[in-house]
Amino acid sequence: MLATDEWLDDLRATGTRHDDAVRRLHELMLRGARHQVARMRATTPELTGSVAEDVIAHAANEAVVSVLGKLESFEGRSRFTTWAFKFAIFHTATEVRRTVWRDREIPMDMVPDVPATNASPSLAVEGSEFAAAVGRALDTELTAHQRAVAVALLIDEVPIDVLADQLGSNRNALYKTLHDARVRLRRVLTEQGYLEVSKTAPATRTNSQERRNR
Amino acid sequence: MTSPDRRIDDATAASLTQNTEPWLSCDDCFALTDSCVDDLLAHRSAPSEAMRVHLAACPACREDVTSLLELVAAEHGVDPATVAPLLML
Repeated sequence: MLATDEWLDDLRATGTRHDDAVRRLHELMLRGARHQVARMRATTPELTGSVAEDVIAHAANEAVVSVLGKLESFEGRSRFTTWAFKFAIFHTATEVRRTVWRDREIPMDMVPDVPATNASPSLAVEGSEFAAAVGRALDTELTAHQRAVAVALLIDEVPIDVLADQLGSNRNALYKTLHDARVRLRRVLTEQGYLEVSKTAPATRTNSQERRNR
Repeated sequence: MTSPDRRIDDATAASLTQNTEPWLSCDDCFALTDSCVDDLLAHRSAPSEAMRVHLAACPACREDVTSLLELVAAEHGVDPATVAPLLML
């Protein structure tokens, strides 16, 4: 395997040396893409044959473009190959999710119900009580956008990159929206006595007895 | 508006109220992913608290890091199972 400096020198060169380096980079990105497809195949049965090959080819090409476009931002905090592989993995995982969800409907306007009971009798009251409080807060305390994003990501389990495509947004912005929604929900539930905040630890669930004692 | 076929159970309620502090964005997580993996493999050093919290809360970034760790470990002849627990996920 080439050292980081050799990769950088070859990719920054011109002529045949540069072209050979780009060809090696493409092979590296193909390896990363195949690895990611193999990982996701276990939970994605449709990821076989030409579908998988198309994803690998497309993602590897995207990764080569990303690496070459960001080459001057590489700071050497990792090996070059580790840095490059992350683009192959990112583009492949994103492409797989897009492919799988391409024909699925993404409902964006509903708040789910709260179940009446839980499997464990000891958790049934506490669990449903907490879930009910979270459901109420979800319904009343969040903005429409926060609620839609939280429901899609955490209840409908829409992949964040797929939802970003749907909303014309990106992973970073949606995660920030979800973070703000969680902060708001935690604040409200803490005020209502369902969560408590210690000086040394993040907010944790309280039980019914603790709430009654306040 | 409510839907009869979607419900909030206890696990979902916990996920909706998951603590995601200290804050780390997906972009910052992606920027740190490669150095996190190499540091973990070279020094067995665990990720920062902000990164660990982010990975616990963001399935997409968690998949990126876990997969990269598995790939790079294999490239260097390291059994990924011996280092994955250091991610503390």
